[in-house]
Amino acid sequence: MIEFCNVSRTYGRKLAVAGLDLTVRAGELFAFLGPNGAGKTTSIKMLVGLLRPSSGQLRVCGFDVVKESQQANSLVGYIPDEPYLYDKLTGREFLQFVAGMFGLASRAADERLAREIARFDLTSFIDDLCESYSHGMKQRVALAGALLHDPEVLVLDEPTVGLDPRSVRLIKDLLRARAAAGATVFMSTHSLAIAEEIADRVGIVHQGHLRFVGTVDELRRQSERMGQASLEQMFLEMTETAEPGTAASEELPPSAGEGQL
Amino acid sequence: MSTAEERPTTSETTELAASVAPRVRLLSAPAEAALFQQLRRNLLTNTLTQALQRSRLRVSLATILTLFLWAGLLVLFYAGFDFLDDAIPEPATHDETVRVVYGVFFASLTVMLVISTAIIVYSGLYRSDEATFLLTTPIRDERVFLHKFQQGMLFSSWGFLLLGSPMLVAYGMVVDAPWFYYLSLLPFMAAFVYIPGSLGAILCLLVVRYLPTNRVQALTVGGIFCAICALWLIWTLIANRSNELLTPDWFLEMIGRLRSSENRLLPSWWLSTGLLEAARSGWDDESERTALVESVMFLAVTASNALVLHHIAVWTAGWTYRTGYGALISEHVTRRRYRVAWMDRAADLILRPLNPQLRLLIIKDLRLFRRDPVQWSQFLIFFGLLALYFLNTRRLSYDVNYASWVNMISFLNLAVVGLILSTFTTRFIFPMISLEGRRFWILGRLPVGRDMILWSKFYFAAIGSLFPCTILIVLSDLMLRVSPLIIWIHILACVLLCSGLSGIAVGLGAKMPDLRDDSPSRIAAGFGGTLNLVLSAAFIVSLVVITTVPCHFYLLATQDEATSFHLDPARQWNWLILGLIGGCVLGAAATAIPLAIGLRAFRRLEA
Repeated sequence: MIEFCNVSRTYGRKLAVAGLDLTVRAGELFAFLGPNGAGKTTSIKMLVGLLRPSSGQLRVCGFDVVKESQQANSLVGYIPDEPYLYDKLTGREFLQFVAGMFGLASRAADERLAREIARFDLTSFIDDLCESYSHGMKQRVALAGALLHDPEVLVLDEPTVGLDPRSVRLIKDLLRARAAAGATVFMSTHSLAIAEEIADRVGIVHQGHLRFVGTVDELRRQSERMGQASLEQMFLEMTETAEPGTAASEELPPSAGEGQL
Repeated sequence: MSTAEERPTTSETTELAASVAPRVRLLSAPAEAALFQQLRRNLLTNTLTQALQRSRLRVSLATILTLFLWAGLLVLFYAGFDFLDDAIPEPATHDETVRVVYGVFFASLTVMLVISTAIIVYSGLYRSDEATFLLTTPIRDERVFLHKFQQGMLFSSWGFLLLGSPMLVAYGMVVDAPWFYYLSLLPFMAAFVYIPGSLGAILCLLVVRYLPTNRVQALTVGGIFCAICALWLIWTLIANRSNELLTPDWFLEMIGRLRSSENRLLPSWWLSTGLLEAARSGWDDESERTALVESVMFLAVTASNALVLHHIAVWTAGWTYRTGYGALISEHVTRRRYRVAWMDRAADLILRPLNPQLRLLIIKDLRLFRRDPVQWSQFLIFFGLLALYFLNTRRLSYDVNYASWVNMISFLNLAVVGLILSTFTTRFIFPMISLEGRRFWILGRLPVGRDMILWSKFYFAAIGSLFPCTILIVLSDLMLRVSPLIIWIHILACVLLCSGLSGIAVGLGAKMPDLRDDSPSRIAAGFGGTLNLVLSAAFIVSLVVITTVPCHFYLLATQDEATSFHLDPARQWNWLILGLIGGCVLGAAATAIPLAIGLRAFRRLEA
């Protein structure tokens, strides 16, 4: 389970995330939608311990990600948009290293490795150096690494960008299967279509504020109420004033606190 | 819309944490250490295996050149210490001289290691993808720091081990040191480098933690402070000199002034004293046994300080690293609007006779150069230091009233300018084609010939380097008050150097591009870059020798009647002309041949 408790984050005087209050429960697949610079990646970086919230509290399975970052990280599988692999390690060596970091015993690590290699069809290149991998191959090895320790929480930042249709299908099936198995899945995406297809709930974030959170059906009903022809139209309406490419698009007034949802 | 109403209660959260707690598996510190040791072993093995399989020639060449350099330094230091042994037979003065030489060497090294480790640790901890990856895993922050710190230490100190070890071995050979001396070298050096290395890492952690947004200003102030200290030190060395240059009294005076490096609190003093004691140690008499004990004690002092500082660095990382990292990656980037600068307009005007497309390509490279502080700041620092040195050479002409010395110094200055230029052409011009490879889809589709792209790089490098190099050389010659003939020859040599070095860098860059790498420093450090540097050095030495040695002899022949008797001026004039023609041919060849090879390769290049 993931809990954002009134979490805000500022960059100097720029407000990147404003009072985010959100709970994603076990067995749920949550899609975080928004334009560039809306605050999605900042939220994810706080969730995995790379950034500290300016205010509020963030918990993963009951562990505070600031005070108990090691415990929280041990329960999370994280795949960034550009996953890091050691160029001079083979895929297998990388996975063994990851298994070691998550404290898997040798026998268990071997079994999990075999399982993930089969699941992601890595056999043909797993013993090659990672520097020779394409983006899709890297993404599959990173996913395998993130799932080795059967994480309670899976966090993915734009997981389908730059992948071929087969890999996209694989990831979509996998995320659904993880949620069905009781894990919490939190993913950010630009793609409304993917969110519509696999997410249990979606959150639309814009300029650091959560503008909508609910199921796709709820979003659809709201769209109809607002007289929008499609979900896309509704999404565009909600995020109309976004500036593409901005890192954080709202400036705090000199004495302002955090924004409210 | 908010989901606050769905938030679990505190007791639910506590229950959840308790239920998943058995699944939290955190590694102990020794287990983490073993895991990272395994990681480094795998990385090293794979890198070496790959290098031996794919680039055997490159590895062999690098090994041979390293051994050659090490052996050359050993011979050089041996000769130096041997000379010192002969020139200063009096034991007390000899020991004092060696102590001062060691003290100055290791004290300078301490400062350099603090700075270099701080920079390397900064890029490893805060700017590397690996650190970002490791911070999202359940590994302790201290371990991530240790992993990157140890890497940083290795990168910053290998040069010291390579350059320092022949000096220390040579000294041992000259004084016939016992086996204990050689045995103690490695522990002494390892313990010593950890002290400035740890200090550099602590400095880096604290600056990023407490001044994340003002770190550049803080470092600028620190840099200015260091520069002032360095200038003060130089001033104390050269000011109010009471003895004639290069006389025994002058030497003793200098030794006296350099004693400040022998402060008992400096790790460099512990190292130099410990090693000198080790060189005198033995079992035969009381003084040798005392020296042995003293040496072991100094090793213990150095090692214990290294360990304490290491612990302080790890402890500092524990409470500053993650917070500093977060502060640094979230700093707000202010956007600057770039406009057409006066420099672009001036370049456009100067390059007006050229083809408009060629002109645009050159101005594009000029803009990239101007907007990359790494490039122009290094250019400015090195050429600025050279200008400072040349401005001070006027003192030499008063002190050493001997024309051939002055002429020789002017020739050496020419070579130094060439060598510094060659490092720039290797670091910045050679990787240009490789970096263009990533943008080749733009350039390759433009309605300009591929040759033009290469020519634009050549003109950019040659014209861009010609002005500063010529100004420096003329400045050096004017300060040294050499004859107009030398000035004109130097200007010619400078033109040939700029053209030849640019030709070599652009030609080899096109012949041996590395289209996969996006880091210019890594491209320059590769085989092509190394070859470029070696060829450039060979070209510079050949050109300077061909053009300046005949000139030196001609000036010697025309100096007075005594020398005219031994050296026929007319004959020397002919040699001078021949040398100049040879220099022009060499310069033209160094420009044309690599460029032709590069053009041919670039036409066939498939990005």
